Amino acid sequence: MFATIKNRFATTDIEVKREDLYKVVVQRDAIFELIFMLREQYDYQTLNAITCCDWIEEEHFAITYILTTSDRKQSFMVQTMIGREDAQIDSLTHTFEQAEIMERDLHEMYGIDFPGNQNLVELSLENWVHTPPLRREFDTLEFVNNNLSFREGRDGNMDVKKEMKRLRALKKAQKAAAKKAKEEASEVSDGN
Amino acid sequence: MDEGFLKEQQVMESDLNSETSHKSSVDFLMDWFRRRSIFVLAYGTGCGAIEMPPTFTSRYDAERLGIRGAATPRQADVIIVSGYCSYKTLRRIIRTYEQMANPKYILALGSCTVNGGMYWDSYNTIKRLEDYLPVDMYVNGCMPRPESILEGFMALQKEIGDGKISSWQKYEDNYAFYRKNQEAVLGQTVAPAYDADWYLYDGGL
Amino acid sequence: MIILDLALMLITAYFVGFIYYGLYRNITARFQRRIGPTIFQSFYDSIKFFGKKEAISHGWMFYLGPIIMATGAIMTLFFIPFFYQSESFSGLSGYGNLFLVLYLMLLGPLGNAMGVGVGGNPFGVMGVTRGLTRLFALELPFYIAVVAIMSISQSADIATIAGSQTTINAFAHPLLFIAALFSFVAMMGQSPFDVVGAPVEVYSGPASEFSGKFLSLLMSQSAIFSFAKLVLMVNLFLGGADGFFELLWKTFVLFLFVIAFGAIYGRFKTPQSVDFLIKVPTVIAIVGLIFATAWGN
Repeated sequence: MFATIKNRFATTDIEVKREDLYKVVVQRDAIFELIFMLREQYDYQTLNAITCCDWIEEEHFAITYILTTSDRKQSFMVQTMIGREDAQIDSLTHTFEQAEIMERDLHEMYGIDFPGNQNLVELSLENWVHTPPLRREFDTLEFVNNNLSFREGRDGNMDVKKEMKRLRALKKAQKAAAKKAKEEASEVSDGN
Repeated sequence: MDEGFLKEQQVMESDLNSETSHKSSVDFLMDWFRRRSIFVLAYGTGCGAIEMPPTFTSRYDAERLGIRGAATPRQADVIIVSGYCSYKTLRRIIRTYEQMANPKYILALGSCTVNGGMYWDSYNTIKRLEDYLPVDMYVNGCMPRPESILEGFMALQKEIGDGKISSWQKYEDNYAFYRKNQEAVLGQTVAPAYDADWYLYDGGL
Repeated sequence: MIILDLALMLITAYFVGFIYYGLYRNITARFQRRIGPTIFQSFYDSIKFFGKKEAISHGWMFYLGPIIMATGAIMTLFFIPFFYQSESFSGLSGYGNLFLVLYLMLLGPLGNAMGVGVGGNPFGVMGVTRGLTRLFALELPFYIAVVAIMSISQSADIATIAGSQTTINAFAHPLLFIAALFSFVAMMGQSPFDVVGAPVEVYSGPASEFSGKFLSLLMSQSAIFSFAKLVLMVNLFLGGADGFFELLWKTFVLFLFVIAFGAIYGRFKTPQSVDFLIKVPTVIAIVGLIFATAWGN
């Protein structure tokens, strides 16, 4: 299987991540051919997940399709890179129906477009108008500070770290004083 | 004299001539009945909902205090916002709260409703519930045990019996304020679509 | 004088009904090893709902539903005499017999069905559908048993039926009593026939859209109607009553049986309860009817 894939798709290597999990990175235009081939010839009949990873420094998304054999003993990760600007990759719904909801998820969280998916509506967010929240240029803390208000602390609010330090020092000093007093007492008794 | 002491004194004195002193006997009687009968909406909005079944079943038995579950918002007195509250949930809570009949109360559980709790930097969770809805009683903890919830209920009952709570009135009077805050996070369409689509269309039940 | 009599009957039924409902909740709690609420809890609930303010309107037909239901319950109560040989507490029973009572018992649910239908709440409509389906099933054995009792007593007058029992009908005609008892458990909305108001499935069923004063009215009529049904059963099968003490202990024994029955059984689905009611109790009732007509009197 490995030799066939290497010859046909001109990839350098197939990584064996675990005994039951292989991974291959291919060009974007070859990925569906590879998935069809795995499905038809090597019994990888289930699409487990479509995942996405945001490589903001290299300016691409890594999209991974995880396929599993019908006996559930082997999995294959098929990965490809797409550009971050106007991110777009064909839908897989015509082959795997369950891809619809996974693609909706990625569309919502990363703003990736999937031409061919008939039902690309929001999944769990409602009326979201900002940057898709899992893109790395989306600053969660900044968003929270701009849009939501926090409760102000109590008047007698104290810094927890400082307070713990102070209390620890106090305890230490008390212990040392107790030890010293004990030693002095024993010295006195020794003297007697 | 020290300023804090003066303020404390003021608070204590304001309690003395509160509205309880000039309540009519009918109000007094109604408050007495309201205190002894509290219907809680069976709606869990966060992880804290898991603490509600033990509160209402044999082990802790809230019914002995007159607290019992109600299935629909029309019949409920109290809605428990049990824990973190995402925008999507907030929409439903606002809709449900507005469907309830006056007088109605809100009991908020957990740190998340006070100040966001462990979701303090989440883009999808509100931080202070009282910006959006008038909260009557907070029960702290993450999560509060059924004992704490019962204690919160008892404190609520005491306030109801004294006739101190008028949060639904507050909500109506300051509706502009609450609406503004709600629109700030939810957009113009605060409430979800109000129809029986899920029931009548799309295959139905 | 009859006005005073009716008022006293209504007041008695109201308070006894609510105390029975409180007892029902308390005893059910004891079955579940809880402490449970006080026996006045249902009364508190009802008064509290009366003090709530409503902000919604579904039109006059919606609000007529609970009123028709309460009318049906109160009229049923007025036509059932509490005691078999007493002038007082006999209400309007001189003007109508058992047939009228059986008719009036149907009025409430039908009126409520119209009101709920206008409300447009899908759960309410679902609850009403289930309620009416159950009603048609439970009527069959109950009516057969009642007809048999009427033929045995040669009378349709409730006081006459109650007074003419030398051995009480429950022992003289046990099959009829058992059949009627199954129907009675269903009439009281107890498990296993409590699918109408099932809170986890249809959100308290027909009452799911009512709140405030109308819910309070529904609770009150339910208390009054329950007491009326208890008195009817006592009159038909347990030999009636000659005084308040006898009436109270007989109704309470019957009510306790219903509670105990409800506390230990799970819930039938609607088709299951219909299946059960038109098979088992109906057959028992028919056998009872044959026995009563062949070897009765």
